[in-house]
Amino acid sequence: MRLISKKTLLLFFLPGAVFMGIFLVYPIFKMVIDSFYQIGITGNRTFIGFENYMKAFTASGCLKQLKNTLLYIVIAVSIETVMGFLAALLFELDYKGSKLIRSLMMTPLMIAPLVAGLIWKLMLSSSFGIVNELLVRIGILSSANDILWLADPKWSLLACCIADIWLTTPYMMMMILAGLQGLDSGLIEAARIDGANTIQEIFYIKLPGIKPVLLTALSVRIVDAAKTFDIIWAMTEGGPNSSSETISILIYKNLVKYNNTGYASAMAVLFIIVLVAFTLIFMQSLWNPKKKD
Amino acid sequence: MKIKKQGKKLAILVSVILTLFWLFPYVYVICCSFKPGAEVIAIPPSFFPKTFSVENFTGLFDRMDVVSYLINSLVTALGSTVIAVALGSLAAYAIQRSGAKLSIFLVVMILCLKMIPTSSIVVPIYEVICDMGLYDTRIALIIVYAAINMPFVMWTMLSFYEGVPTTLDEAAYMDGASSIDTFCKVIFPICMPGVATAFIFTLFLAWNDFLVSLLLTSVNAKTFTVGLAGFLSAYNLDLGPMCAGAFLFSFPVMVLSVAAQKYIVRGMTAGAVKG
Repeated sequence: MRLISKKTLLLFFLPGAVFMGIFLVYPIFKMVIDSFYQIGITGNRTFIGFENYMKAFTASGCLKQLKNTLLYIVIAVSIETVMGFLAALLFELDYKGSKLIRSLMMTPLMIAPLVAGLIWKLMLSSSFGIVNELLVRIGILSSANDILWLADPKWSLLACCIADIWLTTPYMMMMILAGLQGLDSGLIEAARIDGANTIQEIFYIKLPGIKPVLLTALSVRIVDAAKTFDIIWAMTEGGPNSSSETISILIYKNLVKYNNTGYASAMAVLFIIVLVAFTLIFMQSLWNPKKKD
Repeated sequence: MKIKKQGKKLAILVSVILTLFWLFPYVYVICCSFKPGAEVIAIPPSFFPKTFSVENFTGLFDRMDVVSYLINSLVTALGSTVIAVALGSLAAYAIQRSGAKLSIFLVVMILCLKMIPTSSIVVPIYEVICDMGLYDTRIALIIVYAAINMPFVMWTMLSFYEGVPTTLDEAAYMDGASSIDTFCKVIFPICMPGVATAFIFTLFLAWNDFLVSLLLTSVNAKTFTVGLAGFLSAYNLDLGPMCAGAFLFSFPVMVLSVAAQKYIVRGMTAGAVKG
């Protein structure tokens, strides 16, 4: 029995579609059109075909930012995943007060990325930042000015990653914990009776068991990390010397600061195509696990 | 057995240390907000305030219109969330229950819309809002947040509706209820936990937003995040009030996120974990 006719489907979808149409779909269409034009500050438009797209791939284009974005994703997401997994294994244990500890650990989940960026900007400041002060006291650094987290092009991207890791490791932990708790406990018991040690238990039972959850969490995090704006904007605004500039920041700067609407649109179109393609391919393989084997 | 027990004790110890490590930034910010302004930027820095002071809070209130920014944040977050959840859950219901080919297309479209980075579409959005004459109004923020967060609401609700047996819809249909009645009186009430999840999430997303508000507001509808970011460009002297602001802004979020943890966990794991 068909509960919802096609007409009802459209009728129910319409109110939401109006909102999304005006503020999501229309901007994308406009962007695609703009990407083929050179647009002056006064708004005069000249059609230039794919020139904006070509420009994006040149050395002065967005290759550096692309590298930064990929680095950011790889560093942040891999550390988050490993730490999240280890933390989930620890937090899986039940003891008095374990719930409280778990709750406390998850508090960063809902903190604004902007605030996370601000907090870490303060903590990583070279002269009055607490992080360098602690590193000096432990003896890793000889003076607080040895690592200029935010002002040195070598460290700036990593500094942004640190804030991201702090903010989203709890997310990874929570996803993996949910996966672990959903595992068949009989399986683990059986392995124990067969004499599996903790390490074997983790690698042969738990890890394969949480694979679907892990992959979903990874896909969400990879896309989110690629889109990161607030954290980097708060900490470095992409600097110094665009060493921590990612694609999102570059697009925003071109749109708002440099008024390069055409060029920014071309980059944004490419960016969105990559993100959507990545998600669809990922989801496809997740939904049809048979195809993969 | 003894080794196992010791192993567990060690694991507990490690997890406690890890948690303390994770809470460190908060505690530091809280400590900083209660230091006198000069002590925040003292060299070398100290962790605990040497003298307790509310100077930073008074400084914060002097430099920005805290109350009206907070009200703007709250009103826009609540307003947009109500719209996004109401319309999003209605649309998601129709999509989930309809077997039409169109519904598959819509699901894929929602997923794609969810992926769009806000930073690349804010400028066209800004132009639309200006054309509507809504620049620097709360209504502008409410409708834009509602639109941006709607794909997320739909995506979350789709997985919740999957868990509700269609026999319920059929029974209502047999009793002569229309589709909209079935949704409002039968399905929506049953899905309350799901709705709560979507609501809390969307609320946080809108409350935490920075970019949209940065571009769409200037004076009247400015939200707290934009006000807080104002301290970025200012001199180091303002870092004390900035800490106080970060604390004020995040404290309610932390309390709420601990209180509503059940829903948050459910929302994040929706669709990923079958259970």
